[in-house]
Amino acid sequence: MGKGSFRIFCLVLISALMLIMFTGCFDRREVDDLAYVIAIGLDKGKTNFLKMTLQIAVPLAVGSGNEGGGGNGNKSVILTTIETPSIFSGLNMANNYLSKEINLSHAKVVVFSEELAREGIQKYINALKRFREVRGNTYIVVSRGSAEEYLRSIKPLLEVNPAKFFEMNLSSYRYTSFTAGSKLLDFQLQQTSSGSQPVVTLASTGKFESSDEFNLEGSTYKEKDRSIPLEGDFMAGNIPRVGDLKSEIMGIAVFDGAKMVGELDGGEVTYYLIVNGSFDNFYFTFADPLHEGDYILVSIYTGRPPLSKMNMVEDKPVIDLDIKLEGDIISIQSGENYEDINKLPILEKTVEEFMKKEMERFLYKTSREFKSDICGFGKQMKKKFIDWNEWEKFNWLSKYKDAEFNVNIDFKVRRPGLIVRSTPVYTSEGKVAPK
Amino acid sequence: MRKFAETIKSLLIFQEPKEVEKFVLEETEKDEADNDAEEENSGKEDYTASNSEGKKENWITNIMTAPFVMEKEKKTADKGNKGEKDKKKNKDSKNQRGNISKKISENLDYIKKVYSIPTNGDIVLREFDITVKDRTISAFAIFIDGMTDRMVINHAILQPLMMLSNLDIKGNPNELVEYIKKHLLPQSQLNISDTYEKVISEVNFGGCAVFIDGLGVAFTADVKGWEHRSVERPNTELVIRGPQEGFTEVLRVNTALVRKILKDEDLIVENVEIGRRSKTPCSMLYIKDIANEKLVNEVRRRLKSIKIDYLQDSGELEQLIEDSTILHTPQIIDTERPDRVASMLAEGKVAVIVSGSPFALVMPTTATELFRSAEDSYVRFPYANFLKIIRIIGLFLTLLLPGFYIATINYHVEMLPTDLLLAIEASRERVPFPSIVEMLILEVSFELIREAGVRIPGPIGPTLGIIGALILGQAAVAANIVSPILIIIVAVTGIGSFSVPSFSLAFSLRILRFGYILLGTIAGFLGLTTGLFVHLITLVNAKSFGVPFMAPMGPKTSDRYTHELTRAPVWKQERRPDFLNPKDIRKQPPISREWVKGEQGGDEEDEE
Amino acid sequence: MKSKIAFGVWEAVTIMVILFCTQVFLDFPRTMVENAGNAGWILVIYVTIIVLLLFAIMSKLYSRFEGMDILDISEYLAGNVGRIIAGMVFLVYFVFILSVVLREYAENVKTVSLPTTPIVYIMCFFAISMIVGAYAGIEALVRTSAVSVPVIIVAYISILLGVSQYFDITNLFPILGTGAKDIFINGIPKISFFSAISVLFFIAPFVKTYKNFKSVGYISIIIAGIGLTLSSLVYMLVFPYPASLENVLPLYTLARLINYGRFFQRIETIFVVIWDTVAMLYLSTVLFLTVYVFKKTFKLVYYKPLIIPFTLIIVTVSLIPQSYMSVVELENRYFRRIIWTVSFAFITLIMLAAILFKKRRKRRS
Repeated sequence: MGKGSFRIFCLVLISALMLIMFTGCFDRREVDDLAYVIAIGLDKGKTNFLKMTLQIAVPLAVGSGNEGGGGNGNKSVILTTIETPSIFSGLNMANNYLSKEINLSHAKVVVFSEELAREGIQKYINALKRFREVRGNTYIVVSRGSAEEYLRSIKPLLEVNPAKFFEMNLSSYRYTSFTAGSKLLDFQLQQTSSGSQPVVTLASTGKFESSDEFNLEGSTYKEKDRSIPLEGDFMAGNIPRVGDLKSEIMGIAVFDGAKMVGELDGGEVTYYLIVNGSFDNFYFTFADPLHEGDYILVSIYTGRPPLSKMNMVEDKPVIDLDIKLEGDIISIQSGENYEDINKLPILEKTVEEFMKKEMERFLYKTSREFKSDICGFGKQMKKKFIDWNEWEKFNWLSKYKDAEFNVNIDFKVRRPGLIVRSTPVYTSEGKVAPK
Repeated sequence: MRKFAETIKSLLIFQEPKEVEKFVLEETEKDEADNDAEEENSGKEDYTASNSEGKKENWITNIMTAPFVMEKEKKTADKGNKGEKDKKKNKDSKNQRGNISKKISENLDYIKKVYSIPTNGDIVLREFDITVKDRTISAFAIFIDGMTDRMVINHAILQPLMMLSNLDIKGNPNELVEYIKKHLLPQSQLNISDTYEKVISEVNFGGCAVFIDGLGVAFTADVKGWEHRSVERPNTELVIRGPQEGFTEVLRVNTALVRKILKDEDLIVENVEIGRRSKTPCSMLYIKDIANEKLVNEVRRRLKSIKIDYLQDSGELEQLIEDSTILHTPQIIDTERPDRVASMLAEGKVAVIVSGSPFALVMPTTATELFRSAEDSYVRFPYANFLKIIRIIGLFLTLLLPGFYIATINYHVEMLPTDLLLAIEASRERVPFPSIVEMLILEVSFELIREAGVRIPGPIGPTLGIIGALILGQAAVAANIVSPILIIIVAVTGIGSFSVPSFSLAFSLRILRFGYILLGTIAGFLGLTTGLFVHLITLVNAKSFGVPFMAPMGPKTSDRYTHELTRAPVWKQERRPDFLNPKDIRKQPPISREWVKGEQGGDEEDEE
Repeated sequence: MKSKIAFGVWEAVTIMVILFCTQVFLDFPRTMVENAGNAGWILVIYVTIIVLLLFAIMSKLYSRFEGMDILDISEYLAGNVGRIIAGMVFLVYFVFILSVVLREYAENVKTVSLPTTPIVYIMCFFAISMIVGAYAGIEALVRTSAVSVPVIIVAYISILLGVSQYFDITNLFPILGTGAKDIFINGIPKISFFSAISVLFFIAPFVKTYKNFKSVGYISIIIAGIGLTLSSLVYMLVFPYPASLENVLPLYTLARLINYGRFFQRIETIFVVIWDTVAMLYLSTVLFLTVYVFKKTFKLVYYKPLIIPFTLIIVTVSLIPQSYMSVVELENRYFRRIIWTVSFAFITLIMLAAILFKKRRKRRS
């Protein structure tokens, strides 16, 4: 025993020493020998196929809290833009002039310009998914306008770490429902799926310099027959707002395969998320049915995952959608006593009707206009088949454009917030509302 | 250089292994029929397959002829020595075996020669006369000053011999030896020896010998009375709950401490002498009807076979009887706590206590035993398990954290959360060394602080820790020698190593930690995994007195629940560890709390 | 030649589970997709059931040879010639599978965490652990696996549960994948995924009794079957069919997905530790078996001097295929297609022949 283990020990020791002699080369990289790319922006190039913008974290500004100083968030990243034939040749070129080796393992977001997305981004996705440093949970964003411009407009102000900015900002859809959590993996899976199509969050730089310039040119409220835009009737870049943060996200880009075919505004994304069931809660605004000009706000969350039934009627898919939602009252502008158990159905019914209309508009838009099954109804359709070959022959995605939808929404108010009864306001003219 | 080449050669070229009979712990044959059923039940051990039949006989003859063998050994050993001094010694030792002369002058001369009186300052040779019935007999007493109790010598030996011998005592004064023993020496432990050897070894161990003219024998009285520590709190194994006494340097006090706890007449305290010159008394403790006979025999065999001149401490003994010298983990538990020894004896283990050492050795040892602290049995079940989990975390932190850190930041940056990564990068940015050098600097200085902390004189000691940890760390960070994150890593590693209850295990972890740092540097997690695998292989391959080191887990024995990493509630600890193959596997009946109505027995299968 | 080595049922089960399940950490889930589309998990269950039935037959046959391994049986059948033939067959099989698995693991480590490191350097680490493991012997190896398998199982299940947020039940539809024929007819040769069952007939003498042998077989096949089914089921739940053909390392890709909040993600590297441990256990056990078979075939006294030469041979052989793709091709297209003839048919035939032979001999006497 003693001898044997001694021999083993010596063997291990000698080989360890030999291995140590080998070392120094190969894969050992000090953590501070690497430059961590946080965001990659891809535009169509002027001189070459691609114009790539890299946003690289500056660790000294991010890591040591007391030195970076509060105000100037710009220091936490550096940006470099390069024209290149492909992503990785661009990285190679950038390595040439950056002092540290570029590492993509902490890339949080890949931004495609709209122009590029409309041409198709499959080749870039293919390149990214093969590379081991790029992770599936990297966000994908389509920038309306130039990706470079969008990345340059990013100024993390509430946090020192630009990576945190992207992670927090792009996952905010869970409580706003204006964008979708579009990650590289989701995109990759959906673009290769025969039953659903990918979507990507829209981002842009705010177009307004000061609040005097505000206008509603980019808003979609007119298409929806509204007198004023609700909170979701915008796409990124058109929101009337100014401030220190220049960048904004709103809406999604709809893809057919890997090609962008259209855009949905924030309000429509809400319905996309409802059908997918992938949101936590959001505020929902609608017109007061009894008081013109007043609005009611409820906070909405899912009651149970949406159910969909698929039928083929004369080779046309008919999709019955059954959605259950729950909500809390956030605000009743008019002061009408909707909390009353007798009046509650009015409110619920209004929401249901309003949503049904909007939902159908959204669904027909995806099928008739975009011909892209972003809601993944095809996955439900798949259940009707037992053999893959039959399913492929059936070719769902080509049939989706003819789909008919029957939407049934069931909305229940659960809680009134802190107020259980609205009391009238007394003025010099007497009691004002509610009657 | 040639030696190096030979080492390499011996590594690469296969050498035929020598036939070494390995000790494998088997169950003892039982003669009672009712035990057979039990044997069948518990006979699920996976590591027995050896014939120690022949062995056993061997031991028996060994024990029986032990003194003879020892003498023979001595002769041959002495023959080998050729120096002048040794020859003289040889002569002496031969004389020692000689009988005591009737002439006191011869005895006196001999004793003076043996003890080099008057060169030897602390040997007291007191000559006096005894007057018995008007006869004056010259006598002398010899004892070693400082090792004996003077008051006892004065009152129980010298006084009665010199003064009380004149009193009128009924008895036959002609049978002088009997007369003196029965009437004149009121000492409780009195022996009569007729050889010098016995006398001298008694005197060497704190006895007082009295030679009287005309008698061919000497009286030796046990008057041990050296200064020693009283029973104090154990220094290294402090507990909050539980007894607070620790072993001392005195053998009999120590055995008494154990016996006091066990109060069991089946507890055997067997005396063994180790050391050809020092003849250090040792005690081998086991419980007769629990401990496996083969285990006891093996321990006895190993103890008796040791040929060493002086044995000073149980630390030496541990190294002499452990299975593998090179193995990194301890294979014998050393403990300062009598209660721990008692509880392990009750499980069927064997303990050895060495005179002069406050640490008892308990064997065999398994990995889980090294995790146990005495407190585990005394605190309540949930707390004990919480402590155990904390300790396991501590162990893994000590062993792996530095290597893990190095591997991560050198090879696997993708596994750090981005915020943490940027923080580490920022803190590393101004450090001029590669992270491995940085780590080694800090780890080595940590070990330095630790070692120096032990050496530094008492009052300064604790301050050094603060100086080391705070000032050095702070300054190193300020000077950009190391990054602050590394200080945290090294500090956590250090704290983790203190949470390991066994001091020797913590030692092995501290050393192996450097191995893992190197492995992490050369191949990241692949290196760490290779290290872990080899580590595990050596651990499962190790044996402590025939018991596989990782016993309850690999090989798996039937009592996983009670003796693995966690601890069962006291009422559920029904069996002794199966891997020890004790004679009595049951500790308590399936229902040990009879007040609980309808309590389910743990396992009824062996209640047939 | 009574063997002194012995170990219990649990140890044997763990080592068998390791031998069966090593492929899970390689490309097993994807191979299942390749074979039956998104119904690969049904194929695994189907194959497991077939293997259980086959094992029932084989163990029945084995019942007359308690305490013998397959080499002893073939010697009993046809003397030295029989033993040497059987030994050579298994030697070739073991050396081949060892080289393939060694290469695959090394390639995967290279792809996943050490992309610029030479493949030989990575193989060095595996080779060291193989050598140490084989030196320590089968007893130490089964104990190591007994200690580490519970940890591995916990980690494995936590990976599978960790990706539960990505489960999409619709990925399993159409329920029969690429067709019932692919599953139930073309799937039969896929019992080769349990080809490690031949090892059971080598460690049979170590588990002492026939009863132990039988329970080791059944328990390990069932545990491995569950493990394999779970891996392919979870993989197919997460990845929709055509995309699931893409990944080189399905389980690693799954582990990369684990993502709970901003902090609990990126834990796949820890999983690499588990992964390497399984590889090392597998490699050293099979290496031990190789030299053990060699020793036994040619009636040598020691097996230890063979370890290093065999390791060298295996490392060299494993470097022959020119690319990762060709190794995978070699394993899936050829090896997994024919190896059931060795690990099921060959063993059964030997035992059957031996029984008949025995009867005839009895009659003659």
